[in-house]
Amino acid sequence: MSKLNIKILGLLLLVILATSCEKWVKSDPRETFQITELDYLRSESDYRTMAISVYTPIQWLNQSVPVADIASDNSVSGGENASDVIPLQQIDDFTHTANNSTLSEMWQAAYEGINRANYLHQYKVKNLAGDSVEFAGKNALYGEIYFLRAYYYFHLVRYYGDVPLFLDKRLGLAESGTLQRSSKAEVYAAIETDLNNAIAVLPAVQVQKGRVTKYAAQALLGKVYLYQDKFTEAASVLEEVVNGPFSLVSDFGSIFLQAGENGPESVFEIQYSNTSPYYNWGGVNRGQGNHSVQQCGIRGLNGSADMPYAAGWSTNLPSQNLAAAYEAGDTRKAATTLDIEAYKNANPSYNITYQVAPYKNTGLYNQKYLPRKNQTSGQVELNYLNNFRTIRYAEVLLMAAEAYNRTSNDVKARDYLNRVRQRAFGDNLHNINSSGDALKLAIWDERRLELAMEGDRFFDLVRTGQAAAKITGFVPGKHEVFPIPQHEIDVSGLSQNPGY
Amino acid sequence: MKLKLAFLSAVFLLCSILNHSYAQNLQVTGTVKNKTTNENLIGATVAVKGGAAAVSTDAKGSFSISVPSTGSVLIISYSGMKTLEYAVGNTTTGIVILLEESASTTLTDVVVIGYGTQKITKVSGAISTVKSADLEKLKPVRAEEALQGRASGVTVIQGGTPGSAPTITIRGLPSYSGNEPLVIVDGIQQSITDLNSISAADIESINVLKDASATAIFGIKGGNGVIVVTTKSGRKNQKAEFTVNSNYGVQEVINTIGVLNASEYAAIINEGSLLAGGNVIFPDLSAVGVGTDWQNEVFKKASMQSHNLTARGGGERMTYFLSAGYLKQAGIVGGNDKSRFTRGNFTANLNFDLTSKLKFILNTTGVILDSKGIQENSFNSVIGSALNFDPTVSKYNTVPNTVGQYGFSNLLLSEIFNPLTKLENTYNKNVGNKLYGKFELQYDILKNLKFTTRFGYTKYDGNSKSFTPLVFYGPLNVDNSMNADGSTVSGKHNSVSHEKTSNFNYTYEAFGNYNFKLKDRHNFETVAGFSLAKVSGNAAGASRQDVPFNSWEFADLTAATGSNSPTNTNALTGYYYQYFKRNVSVFARFNYDYQDKYLASFSFRRDGSNVFGKNNKYVNLMAGSLGWVVSKENFFKSDFINFLKIRGSFGSTGNDNVTPQFVRIETGGPSYGPTANSNGYSFDGVFYPGSTVGSASNDALKWEINKQSNVGFDMTFYKNKFSLTADYFTKKTEGLLFTPSASLYLGTVPIPVANIGSTKSSGIDLTLGYNTTVAKKVKISTALTFTTSNNEVTATNTDGTARILGGYYFNGQSQSVTVFEKGFTPGYFYGYKTDGLFQTAKEVADAPTQTGAQPGDIRFVDMNGDGVISAADQTQIGDPFPDFTMGWNLNIEYKNFDFNAFTYASVGNDIYRAYERNANYSNKYRAVLARWTGPGTTNDARNPRYTFSDVNSNIRVSDRYVEDGSFIKIKNIQLGYTFPATATKKLFSKLRIYVQVKNAFVFTDYSGYDPEISGGVLDTGIDRGSYPQARTYSIGLDIKL
Repeated sequence: MSKLNIKILGLLLLVILATSCEKWVKSDPRETFQITELDYLRSESDYRTMAISVYTPIQWLNQSVPVADIASDNSVSGGENASDVIPLQQIDDFTHTANNSTLSEMWQAAYEGINRANYLHQYKVKNLAGDSVEFAGKNALYGEIYFLRAYYYFHLVRYYGDVPLFLDKRLGLAESGTLQRSSKAEVYAAIETDLNNAIAVLPAVQVQKGRVTKYAAQALLGKVYLYQDKFTEAASVLEEVVNGPFSLVSDFGSIFLQAGENGPESVFEIQYSNTSPYYNWGGVNRGQGNHSVQQCGIRGLNGSADMPYAAGWSTNLPSQNLAAAYEAGDTRKAATTLDIEAYKNANPSYNITYQVAPYKNTGLYNQKYLPRKNQTSGQVELNYLNNFRTIRYAEVLLMAAEAYNRTSNDVKARDYLNRVRQRAFGDNLHNINSSGDALKLAIWDERRLELAMEGDRFFDLVRTGQAAAKITGFVPGKHEVFPIPQHEIDVSGLSQNPGY
Repeated sequence: MKLKLAFLSAVFLLCSILNHSYAQNLQVTGTVKNKTTNENLIGATVAVKGGAAAVSTDAKGSFSISVPSTGSVLIISYSGMKTLEYAVGNTTTGIVILLEESASTTLTDVVVIGYGTQKITKVSGAISTVKSADLEKLKPVRAEEALQGRASGVTVIQGGTPGSAPTITIRGLPSYSGNEPLVIVDGIQQSITDLNSISAADIESINVLKDASATAIFGIKGGNGVIVVTTKSGRKNQKAEFTVNSNYGVQEVINTIGVLNASEYAAIINEGSLLAGGNVIFPDLSAVGVGTDWQNEVFKKASMQSHNLTARGGGERMTYFLSAGYLKQAGIVGGNDKSRFTRGNFTANLNFDLTSKLKFILNTTGVILDSKGIQENSFNSVIGSALNFDPTVSKYNTVPNTVGQYGFSNLLLSEIFNPLTKLENTYNKNVGNKLYGKFELQYDILKNLKFTTRFGYTKYDGNSKSFTPLVFYGPLNVDNSMNADGSTVSGKHNSVSHEKTSNFNYTYEAFGNYNFKLKDRHNFETVAGFSLAKVSGNAAGASRQDVPFNSWEFADLTAATGSNSPTNTNALTGYYYQYFKRNVSVFARFNYDYQDKYLASFSFRRDGSNVFGKNNKYVNLMAGSLGWVVSKENFFKSDFINFLKIRGSFGSTGNDNVTPQFVRIETGGPSYGPTANSNGYSFDGVFYPGSTVGSASNDALKWEINKQSNVGFDMTFYKNKFSLTADYFTKKTEGLLFTPSASLYLGTVPIPVANIGSTKSSGIDLTLGYNTTVAKKVKISTALTFTTSNNEVTATNTDGTARILGGYYFNGQSQSVTVFEKGFTPGYFYGYKTDGLFQTAKEVADAPTQTGAQPGDIRFVDMNGDGVISAADQTQIGDPFPDFTMGWNLNIEYKNFDFNAFTYASVGNDIYRAYERNANYSNKYRAVLARWTGPGTTNDARNPRYTFSDVNSNIRVSDRYVEDGSFIKIKNIQLGYTFPATATKKLFSKLRIYVQVKNAFVFTDYSGYDPEISGGVLDTGIDRGSYPQARTYSIGLDIKL
């Protein structure tokens, strides 16, 4: 080999090296067959599959239902003792602080939902690779996504007041600690935009029950308007739902049975199922099952095979105050509160034995979401199939009634209110005939009776200014909103709500 | 033999011709011999100082060389011997040159460093060396054993499992994961795991590079220190030298743990039951007897043997080292059938001079590994079961109409089984083939400019199989998969699992070494080059249920019959995965010395890796050192100190223990990851899988950086008989991986790890050697090493609150005892402090509130003084890492006898006793006999009252279970006898026999088997019934032909 040859070879080697080095240390997850965001959102199926998971975090907001009743005069935290379910005990006693795992779990879950929706929003026009994927029904699909984002923000604004608002993209570690809280008004404006955009594209009917429809978006928008005292707008949008394809189920109690799920009265339900068993005790609310059902159950309950109920943890016990609020003849009382001792005595053939709720016993249980036999799977405590009846037609009627009453259309208000009452009592004898403020109060009271244990009472009391009067321990100027999780104060530098 | 003679004559002839070509003025002839053994040294180099002439000694150790004149100086060198300078006087024929064997580090040695070698006197970094002589004495199963106590600055904690890798840390514990040093075998990057494949007989030397100046040339991989293994090669013009080493031994357990015998057990069980308000379990204590000692049943005497055959030699243009080795170590737990490590090695190291300037080196080693293992390290392992199983049960099953060879308990109905049943039903095998080596070309472009290019590789293919049979553990046992009549428990299946792994790692390197002198005083040794490396591997596995006849014989996927159904999706399963990592690097080093007096070294490496975040693909690491050989100064006139060098270095190295991050899309839900960031949703009661972002990337992710400074000195004194090397180092590791605290509004996608932790270590390494000859006959060489390192975690998380828990064990509750936390030693023991026992109810009432406490229960210390004993009172209760370790090696030779003793001591390491299951009916640690039985009986927190109902939780993690694990072990005693050359000359050039005892004596206060408990940082010192090291008695034979 001549020296020249060696030199040429050496030079060649150097060139090859210099060019190949960059490639050599490039990291490409495809080399280990990992699907990354670069590979995704390239087909209709990708978009549709990913949209499904925007729904997922609404399941994780599971505790918002018990919390809104426990924080109100409707129910107490219960549990085994004072140190059981501490986050709920503190909320019940109004001693809650910024260190409350239930509150911070819901905060984080709602933001995961927002990030998931934002991610799809981010790549709506073009995917990460820069291509646009168009398909029939894409806009309608985005209607679901925007509804869900609005739902998550509504959850946040109801619970925490001013919250960080971001709509353009999924945040990453680089954005940690970079945001501040936006005002409630800004958040509500974003919610209204999302819902209006959703209403414009959503279908009236979805083939798959449980998917968001135009009516669900309108009903939620009506509710959002009520929270801002925008009664005219509320009346107009709710009227459309009132005239929609819904009807009141004659047997109130049947709404909450498995057979009553996604029924004629259902405007929007958070879906749960027992067909994908979940076992992770580290995140009890993150499976496909409804964990709050287990919490409601009667401790140590035993009985014959045909006794329908399963045992639970005696949490979220309806108060005697709630039971007393029902007039005689109101079928909703028994369908909302179960007096276990009375039930036991009324059904001797069941041979019921149970443990009296060891803490904050009221003798009553949450009949709407009481665990029933054969409705769970896998880790039984985590997999109850019960949907949350999030927006029912009855509530739409009551919201519309409230909106009309506040815009001086008491005729319509009474009509809608009495439709609800007629179903509850099975007759016209209990109709309300008042007007004005008296009618307003009647509608508010009716909301309690109709919607008790469905996760609205606390926010209704705050919204209507009745909280301080009705809730023991409630401090005006502080307890209207819950505290921002301490972690967010420490790590993200957010300001805390007053009083916490 | 004839062939050999012919070969030798040819070599001889060649030598003569060569000699003639250099014919000059004065011909000098002589013989080179080993001063100690009087052996002729074949292939020793004899060179004329300052000239070009050099010859090698022939088969008789003879040489003939021309020198310019009387007074010329000959330099005689031989590997492993001290180089000698001989001034030619009036005698020019028949000169006898006696070379002394060099001790572990002597001044004339060269050490192998990264991409080159360096004369040890010129080294200004910190390096420890272990020579082949030590390895030959120790006969280790794994090469790292030889580092224990012999290389200062290196902490080796050995395990007892045959063939298992010890825990090795060089200068401290920078991280909670990945403290493994880099291993370089003949210049090629390997891993600690690969050291199981190298026969000790093949190793020439092991150098441990400790400080940044020595390791920086390895850049991002050098942060935890570097172990440089150099294997043997042949020598030019050397006649074939054959060695045979054979060793056979028997191993036994050193001691057993004191547990209760059957009647003691029965009495304690009765007491525990009665105190808890239960019944008497054993009404008739007299009928119980001593029962079965399960430890005696599981520990076996086990054989161990190793045999090596090597041949080395070479001609003018080619040298070779050939080796074949076989090693078999049976385990003392269960014996050869269930626990063992077998290795066969075949090595060929060949060097060819293709032209006068071009050299080709081909090293190839093939290894066959074969091992079997048992369940270890838990309360329900074989040893754990032996310690915890019911001693009242008879060894063999005597109950009619029940299957199973061994007895069962009617008290222990889950988790803990008859250890013999457990052993009997342990079936597995792991075989592997490894091929590693290198191709290397060296081209001497100019006299001092050498270009080297090499390709090194390691190929491993592993194949393992295990079988889980159906087992009957006793009629009431809940873990039964077989009924008493031998039928299968409904819903249970036996199963067989296979796994095949395949790795291929390679490194391609090219570098040039240029050495030059300026004005005869300024010496430069430089190297520059680049390296490409790839680590890759994949594994596939499958398992299947329903193996025919419930038999190991038919345990194979092909014979098993399981098929999946909607109710059983585990009947036939499989998986596959792969990984890889690629690096590209350029490096350079520049060594300078002025007349061997002032030394300086600077090294640099730029590394790129595919695992680093995209903003940090590359890193530059550098280090420098300075040295001053004081003894070379003219003003230095000391009769006492013969040599003194002072050194100092500073530099940075790294650690690339990161995994690539990217934004993964999780598909196929619900897939609950670590944060239960699930996907999918149910519509109308039916689940629909979804997809979502499942991981996040941190583009700022990068390697860990170690910044290390080192000061030290090397000294020989008192007629060169003593040598002392001492180093003090401080090391700060930055960029440890931790999960940062991030805003919750980022959602639930796992937060990617970031480099936010740091640790610091400091310590002293010290080696003192002494060589002397007493009365001209007794040769003594001894060396003492001393190693300390103090480690502290200085940062974990942005808010300093992140804690990594480890050391998990189960004693009725799942417990974690070790923590990696800011402000403490990595992996320190964390739990409750005890303060004796409550003697009376009044004491309980007066003490801080301690739920459930009664007289006889442990009084825990209220560390935070809030009046309540709660989780917040947990604190540091121990440290598993020693304050210091020491090694003492002693060699004595007298006439034909040689003696070696090696002692190793570890002081200040704590052990956490975690093998006690504490179930009501599990057997108890003997200390329970000294338990509290009433006021004043004892106040020792280790011995609370015994009751089934432990409301006070006396079993919580506390210093009750912490013991001082300090120990002194006489690791090796060897006595050898070399037959006089006259007696064996006709057959052998050397014949030595020896007897050896390994782990001869252990002095410790620790109550368990073995105070050396290896594991990762967070598992070190946790004794869950770990496999003890064996005491081995062996005899052996070393033959040279």
